[in-house]
Amino acid sequence: MVETTAVVQKFYNDYVQHTPKKLKLVDIYLGYILLTGIIQFVYCCLVGTFPFNSFLSGFISTVSCFVLGVCLRLQANPQNKTVFAGISPERGFADFIFAHVILHLVVMNFIG
Amino acid sequence: MNRGPKILSNKVAGYSSLITFAILLIAWIAGFSSRLFAVIRFESIIHEFDPWFNYRATAYMVQHGWYKFLNWFDERAWYPLGRIVGGTVYPGLMITSGGIHYLLHFLNIPVHIRDICVFLAPVFSGLTAISTYLLTKELWSPGAGLFAASFIAIVPGYISRSVAGSYDNEGIAIFALQFTYFLWVRSVKTGSVFWSAGAAISYFYMVSAWGGYVFIINLIPLHVFVLLIMGRYSPRLLTSYSTFYILGLLFSMQIPFVGFQPIRTSEHMAALGVFVLLMAVATLRHLQTVLSRHEFRKLFVVGGLVAAAFVFVAVVALTMMGVIAPWSGRFYSLWDTGYAKIHIPIIASVSEHQPTTWFSFFFDLHILVCAFPVGVWYCIKQINDERVFVVLYAISAVYFAGVMVRLMLTLTPVVCMLAGVAFSGLLDVFLQEDTSKKFGNSAYSVTETDENEDPTEKKTLYDKAGKLKHRTKHENNHENGISSNLKSVVILAILMILMMFAVHCTWVTSNAYSSPSIVLAFHNSQDGSRNILDDFREAYYWLSQNTADDARIMSWWDYGYQIAGMANRTTLVDNNTWNNSHIALVGKAMSSSEEKSYEIMTSLDVDYVLVIFGGVIGYSGDDINKFLWMVRIAEGEHPKDIKESDFFTDRGEFRVDAEGSPSLLNCLMYKLSYYRFGELKLDYRGPSGYDRTRNAVIGNKDFDLTYLEEAYTTEHWLVRIYRVKKPYEFNRPALKANERLIPPSNFISRKNSKRRKGYIRNRPSVIKGKRTLK
Amino acid sequence: MNWNCLYLAIISCLLLLNSVKAEIINKNVERYLDLSSQLVKTTIKINAEDSAGVPIKEYVFTAKEANIAYISAKDALNNDLKLRKEQSNDDQRFVLTFEKALPKQTIQIETVSVGNVKPYPEEIKQNEKQLVKYAGLLYLYSKYKTVTQKTQIKLSSSNIISYTQVKPFSVSSNKIILGPYENIKALSDEQLAIHYENQTPFLTVNSLERTIEVSHWGNIAVKESIEMIHSGAKLKGSFSRYDFQKDGRQSGQSAVKSYRTYLPASATGVYYRDMNGNISTSNMNVQRDFIDLELRPRFPLFGGWKTQYILGYNVPSYEYLFSAGKNYQLKMRLIDHVHDNMAIDKAVINVILPEGSSNIELMTPYSIKRRQNEFIYTYLDTTGRPMISFSRSNLVENHISDFTLKYTFSRVSLLQEPFLLIGFIYFIFILTIIFLRLDFSIVSYHHNKSE
Repeated sequence: MVETTAVVQKFYNDYVQHTPKKLKLVDIYLGYILLTGIIQFVYCCLVGTFPFNSFLSGFISTVSCFVLGVCLRLQANPQNKTVFAGISPERGFADFIFAHVILHLVVMNFIG
Repeated sequence: MNRGPKILSNKVAGYSSLITFAILLIAWIAGFSSRLFAVIRFESIIHEFDPWFNYRATAYMVQHGWYKFLNWFDERAWYPLGRIVGGTVYPGLMITSGGIHYLLHFLNIPVHIRDICVFLAPVFSGLTAISTYLLTKELWSPGAGLFAASFIAIVPGYISRSVAGSYDNEGIAIFALQFTYFLWVRSVKTGSVFWSAGAAISYFYMVSAWGGYVFIINLIPLHVFVLLIMGRYSPRLLTSYSTFYILGLLFSMQIPFVGFQPIRTSEHMAALGVFVLLMAVATLRHLQTVLSRHEFRKLFVVGGLVAAAFVFVAVVALTMMGVIAPWSGRFYSLWDTGYAKIHIPIIASVSEHQPTTWFSFFFDLHILVCAFPVGVWYCIKQINDERVFVVLYAISAVYFAGVMVRLMLTLTPVVCMLAGVAFSGLLDVFLQEDTSKKFGNSAYSVTETDENEDPTEKKTLYDKAGKLKHRTKHENNHENGISSNLKSVVILAILMILMMFAVHCTWVTSNAYSSPSIVLAFHNSQDGSRNILDDFREAYYWLSQNTADDARIMSWWDYGYQIAGMANRTTLVDNNTWNNSHIALVGKAMSSSEEKSYEIMTSLDVDYVLVIFGGVIGYSGDDINKFLWMVRIAEGEHPKDIKESDFFTDRGEFRVDAEGSPSLLNCLMYKLSYYRFGELKLDYRGPSGYDRTRNAVIGNKDFDLTYLEEAYTTEHWLVRIYRVKKPYEFNRPALKANERLIPPSNFISRKNSKRRKGYIRNRPSVIKGKRTLK
Repeated sequence: MNWNCLYLAIISCLLLLNSVKAEIINKNVERYLDLSSQLVKTTIKINAEDSAGVPIKEYVFTAKEANIAYISAKDALNNDLKLRKEQSNDDQRFVLTFEKALPKQTIQIETVSVGNVKPYPEEIKQNEKQLVKYAGLLYLYSKYKTVTQKTQIKLSSSNIISYTQVKPFSVSSNKIILGPYENIKALSDEQLAIHYENQTPFLTVNSLERTIEVSHWGNIAVKESIEMIHSGAKLKGSFSRYDFQKDGRQSGQSAVKSYRTYLPASATGVYYRDMNGNISTSNMNVQRDFIDLELRPRFPLFGGWKTQYILGYNVPSYEYLFSAGKNYQLKMRLIDHVHDNMAIDKAVINVILPEGSSNIELMTPYSIKRRQNEFIYTYLDTTGRPMISFSRSNLVENHISDFTLKYTFSRVSLLQEPFLLIGFIYFIFILTIIFLRLDFSIVSYHHNKSE
């Protein structure tokens, strides 16, 4: 157990020191989305999923925001530059915005 | 020094893009025009069965608008139940043609919606060719792409579902399928969110168009899964798949017919599983990069345990709550070909749901069948992420095509692609010597030599221009290995094969797939003239003109859509076979005696009965030949009243002549088909009442109808319509007092209960009047 | 009492005097009734004269028949007479005005009426013959006295079940001659009824919509959409294809299997279709001055059965469109032949002129009802094509005649559409060029950023 906490500790330090500021911003966003998702999940467990499409659209929109955020983070991460050849962080951000636009259009339609 | 090559490459690029453009255009035009046989021979008309419904729905949408279409409750189908059309249809097809119609009318081009519907599939075949080109280009090379595009433009396996007039979901769905795969492969290659969002949008279009979208949503996760197993994980895979999946999931739920299925049914669960798995793998990978191996292992153990517990609890909970539905019967039939025959006769009764014969593989694909394993081999030899995809695509499509004739359609594109790869690979080896000797590395001159060639060969030669790199690579390997004579022989052979392929395609298209099936043509054996049998339209038009507007017409379900589309009358059952018990009731009415079926017919408010009878002209797809399926389906629901064995002779034969079983010779279908046929002499020497379809003199010649009367019979007796008499119109045989009330039937009460057994998502249909009996 | 008698006598004397003075009498009347089809075609020859020798200026012809579709009157020299219609309570009066007032006039009146030959019995079985009943008047219904009159009736067959027998009369095969009768009072309306066999097609066109689309590129497209019903005796009981095929003469004699339509000789691109597509059963024979089109409906029309179809063709515009500078004149048939002895309940005629036509002026051979003019938008239209629309009910073959439509149209606007097309393609090219440039800049932008 102690070892695990040590690992986590080390992980945290590593993160604080080596991650660029941009990525930290994305991580804060991801954390916020994760929090929203958890709240939604708890809410649905407690109250129920009555307007199922509304619940679904809400929940899936958080999941997809999270996923898109992760994608953005991956693409923006300088370590992955070789993997994502031809995709600059700006391009990644433009894609991110594009995906969000279509996502939220559909979510608005679906939430009814 | 520097400028020279640049100009040269510019020039080459210019030529190659011109040639690419030209070939794709030619492929489009060739594909379009080879699909016009039916229009030229007959007319611009909607074919077959399902297209009539699609056409009717489209016409409704154009007339009443999109929102009314979504809420359309069709009271003219499935009397007395009705059908909620907006929620039980894939609207992509209607939206596409409705959109084109709107656009054209906005530009003041008054094209009738029927013509748009007729020509939609041929136009989309060109788009399919282009998306096939793009996909193959991503997978292999532009040259192979051009080959594939040319193949798919004329291959019969695809033409069979996309001739002009065949206005069906598949026509646009194959385009959507190929385009989705193209965007998917692109996004896997680049890892771009943009492409993968594009793939999701294209997937959305596919979902809106065809139930075959399930193929995509299982194949792509399979691809991801196999890549994971092969240890080919990369962040690109994560970005592309997770974006695609989550957006695609959300999009697919926008289609009313699909609804919440993507999170509820087992068919879609694989995609979710792979999504979760991919996420897990990604997290682990990420941690791996951050932490040392030792630390990682510890975290892995703890995290793994927690995750396993969570997944286990979740699965148990969901299954207990019954959220995830089991696999539908149709999918079982995909795994076990015998399943349908035993459990769902209505699926088995459709000829295109039969397992494919070897013959039809060759018939539909010709030389491509032989070339395509070569393509698979090429892909496996030089494997990379996207070639894994095409190999999986090939293997699964081959399996499905083997199970069901209908799914030949999903096999065709991949066969074309891989055959394109194979031919391009072959020509890579054999078609380089001239250029390398004469021009060294300046390969653009290939195009110039090609200009002199025979036009039929152009297609095969042009595509060389696009794939310069490959050739130069091969040149070094093979230059010395093959003599020029051998090369020219091989090239000639290949060209011959390709030419034969083109001839075969044209022949098959013109002979097998260009009949509208509602207009039959036959050649007069005496003077060789071509006659047209227009009996179907004759009968339907008679119905539309000379029956009451709310008349209810009972017929076997095959003709439901046509009656609704051409006669605009209420039908009891149609090709959207969603309610098996209702169909069984009609089957029971057809296979009972006249008196019993009159009870059923009055309880269903039937005004007219329509049967198809081919005995006079020898048309094999008539109702007597389908009759055993009616009996089987009726037996499934009413085993007490109808027994299949009653309709066979003692020796187990199904025959209509004097030796036939009495229950066959006295059932309603028999009587309606052969009413007054016993008096008809088809030629002077032969006996009267000789059935040309079954080559027998009918067994029960002299009978009268009590409860029905002949209302109309078409010129060649192909369609016979009978009017059900009202109770006061005939002398009812005496009934005892206690039998005089018709017991209330319980079928109406079924409207509300969710009887979803035998629920079919894609409406099956019988094609081309083939025998549905085995 | 006495006074009253005297009074009456004086009045009657006066009346008598008056009538003797200036009374028109029908000296001799000859009627020809053609009942051989579904129409009643009447030709009446009247020799009228004034008993007092006063020149006759006007003659009143009264028609008691319902549904007179067509009437024309001619004088002795075969010149058309002016007809003025006066509607009284239950009969129609036509006042004929002569050009020259003469004491003796010869008039020839032709009428065609619809719906006076009725099937009787109204429902027959498939193998029964169609019998019809004609109900008319024994004598010419006239406000004037008639001295002698004779009626000749032509029937469709010699099978006459019954007819009103007032002597003298004679029958020979399919002809009945009634009369001559003498000294018939004015306004006498004795009935005449004839019950006979009539197997000629009883087809009524319920509605006809004729659309004429004029193009100044040399073509006039005509499209007629027709709803038709067999208005004879209705089919009772079942239809049997077996009987119909086995014995076409016995069975279904009154059914209409096909009929002929005559089109203008220059018609090309003829199509015959309905909402389910082309009807493949028709024959076209090109004659010297017309095209004889044999149309077979999808199914034989029995009594009470309906059908609808669309018939269309193109004719070259030089035969119908005349121009002088900017002024154009279209001269075409208002309705055209549908089938022999046709009866059209209601016809709507739409004429679509090219875009930019103005000062439209319509002249018709008989009265019509104008409808709202509309604008139609088709290929490459911007302002829309003016559509002139009018209707008329109760038409027969005699109504086939030309209408004239005058309008002005400037030749320059003929070039509008090609220019529009050229402009559009040009626009697409420009758009492509701009798009390609833009596309390039976007790519380079990204490259710059990523580097």
